[in-house]
Amino acid sequence: MKWTSRTRCALVCAFFAFLFSIFSYRLIYLQMVKHDYYVELAAIKNGSRETIPAERGAIYDTHDEVLAQNVPVATVVADGTLLNNPDALVPILAHALQLSPNEIAEKISSHRPYIVLKRELPEADARALEETLKGKKLRGVRCERETVRVYPNGSLLCHVVGFLNFEQHGIQGIEASMDQYLRGADGYRYIERDAHGDELVLYRGAERPPHNGSQVHLTIDLHLQTIVEDELDAAVREYRPEKATIILMRPQTGEILAMANRPNFDLNLRAEAKPEQMKNRAIIDMMEPGSTFKIVTAASALNERKVRLDSMIFCENGVWNVFGRPLHDHGHTGYGELSVQDILVHSSNIGAAKMAMMLGDQKFYEYIRRFGFGDRTGIELPGEIGGLVHAPRDWSKISITRIPMGQEVAVTPLQMIMAMATIANGGKLMQPRIVKSIVDDEKKTISTLQPTLVRQVISSETAALLARALRDVATKRGTAVEAAVPGFTISGKTGTAQKAAPGGGYEKDKYIVSFSGFLPSENPVFVCLVVLDDAHTKDPALNYGGTIAGPIFSRVAEKAARYLDLEPHEEIETKSTAGRVALTNAPR
Amino acid sequence: MNQRRRKNFNPIDAPSLARWIVIATFAAATGLSYVYLTVQLHHQGVQKKLLEEELVAVRVQNEDAKVQIAALTSRTALQRRLREGQLKMIPITEQSIVRLNISGRPPGDDEVQPVVNERGNP
Repeated sequence: MKWTSRTRCALVCAFFAFLFSIFSYRLIYLQMVKHDYYVELAAIKNGSRETIPAERGAIYDTHDEVLAQNVPVATVVADGTLLNNPDALVPILAHALQLSPNEIAEKISSHRPYIVLKRELPEADARALEETLKGKKLRGVRCERETVRVYPNGSLLCHVVGFLNFEQHGIQGIEASMDQYLRGADGYRYIERDAHGDELVLYRGAERPPHNGSQVHLTIDLHLQTIVEDELDAAVREYRPEKATIILMRPQTGEILAMANRPNFDLNLRAEAKPEQMKNRAIIDMMEPGSTFKIVTAASALNERKVRLDSMIFCENGVWNVFGRPLHDHGHTGYGELSVQDILVHSSNIGAAKMAMMLGDQKFYEYIRRFGFGDRTGIELPGEIGGLVHAPRDWSKISITRIPMGQEVAVTPLQMIMAMATIANGGKLMQPRIVKSIVDDEKKTISTLQPTLVRQVISSETAALLARALRDVATKRGTAVEAAVPGFTISGKTGTAQKAAPGGGYEKDKYIVSFSGFLPSENPVFVCLVVLDDAHTKDPALNYGGTIAGPIFSRVAEKAARYLDLEPHEEIETKSTAGRVALTNAPR
Repeated sequence: MNQRRRKNFNPIDAPSLARWIVIATFAAATGLSYVYLTVQLHHQGVQKKLLEEELVAVRVQNEDAKVQIAALTSRTALQRRLREGQLKMIPITEQSIVRLNISGRPPGDDEVQPVVNERGNP
């Protein structure tokens, strides 16, 4: 072969062509044949799925006062592989995070890629720290934003609002029952980072924005709640009960206006609270209702036309031996002939028992169930119990004489107030509601809960008769003169039940006292229930529903009537009849 | 001699050279444009990230402010301030309250609603 310049040139060209062909082949092999493999490898090495957290919805009262909201905080995280000057970092972090320099040094010396230095650092402190790190060009420490739940009103309405666990899931109260609406849905974004750990925005992958949680508006009126809580605090100071509950509701719609229990706890300091303080006793505590249950007995007998309000029943002068067991009436000498109205006004056990016997076991049981006892009410709060109502086949011989006066049945305070609300609402049992509406992130109302009629328990005529009969309870003739509200006629019923002992029988000198009533009697605007478990009085003879729960009802109802601007029927007396009957020098 | 030297030199194909120069320039310009645009994209991405961070920071500050406002104006906080004497309330006497008795019957379009100050006298 002749090595001409043309030949040499051709050889060089061929060499380069061959070389670049190899490169091209390799390029095609890497970019096309092995594309998926290397993309995956790159994604594993540099890419990640970044979660965009959804904001939890706030909880408001009926007038849009905030009950629960989120506060932004930061988690300070160090990446041990990116720290460029650990020695300079230590004093800065120790000062900003209020931690000891040794602790910081020990943590960051591990060279792990994710070292949590401090959680829940306030937003302002996090911003200051970031500025300092940026100014000093220190790498490897970042602040991850998150939110924590705060409750501006502390212990107010604590059992209703509830709280979250560490994973931000509601575990009590509205936070738990409305969790699916409040929580929202986290978004995500596939990202890639450079060698410094900064995001390469150019290589952002699929993305879904977060769907923030909805706002929940309650039927609770915080002003009424404050009235109730203040009176409950005063009652606890005065009578030192083991437990206490007050509920205020609107009978026509079943809206709960206020609900408070003692003992309670501060929602912002829930780690310090004991389990006993966290129970919403209005829905999870069972109690024998005592004489307040006589409204069920009387309503049943009146509705079945077994008696009229003026029907006379002989009350055996205070002691009735029935089925071999004596049944007593409270009072000095007992009662002889009493009208049905007076049986309620004087709270005669014998009269109530005789009315129930006129009905018979089965019919009486049916009415008890129709009033909602033995079933959960369906309120939007978690953990509600249905109480305990035995079927007639499980009754003893004397059950028909004991159940009418509120023994041998266990009810929740909410069930008890619903029974009174049924009478206030013309015999209609409504479903209690505590959630008014749910509004999504774009301020669009996604759910407005309408009043729900459960059933017509008794006729409206019977309800009106009973409401009229119960007006005299809060008069000088009745058992709760101190429950009267100046300027208004009220209908109500007292209850004093011996406290059931855990092992059976009753505890000595321990009572659950209660008063349940509505106002104004003719056209009720609200129903209120006051229950105190094991109240302590100086004089044990004053440990009755009428003397302890009655005055509390009076004060709550009077303040609530003023707030709701109810027009008094009578001239307002300058001095309230609802004085304190025991420990009058107790501090308020 | 001059003729021999001229014969030994490769002739320059000016049109072809020009074509290749144009192609090379175009390729170089394309490559440079690609690099420039890629750098611009990165730059825009960084700018976008900064703006996003700024927006998040503003939102966070807004949330923080809302929480502080709620904490300062919550019923519990106001009651505490009232107890401490930082706030005063003036009671409204019964005589100062003016009630408007609204008629139970819905008024027609051209009817005037009665409004009175004395209770019970519509």
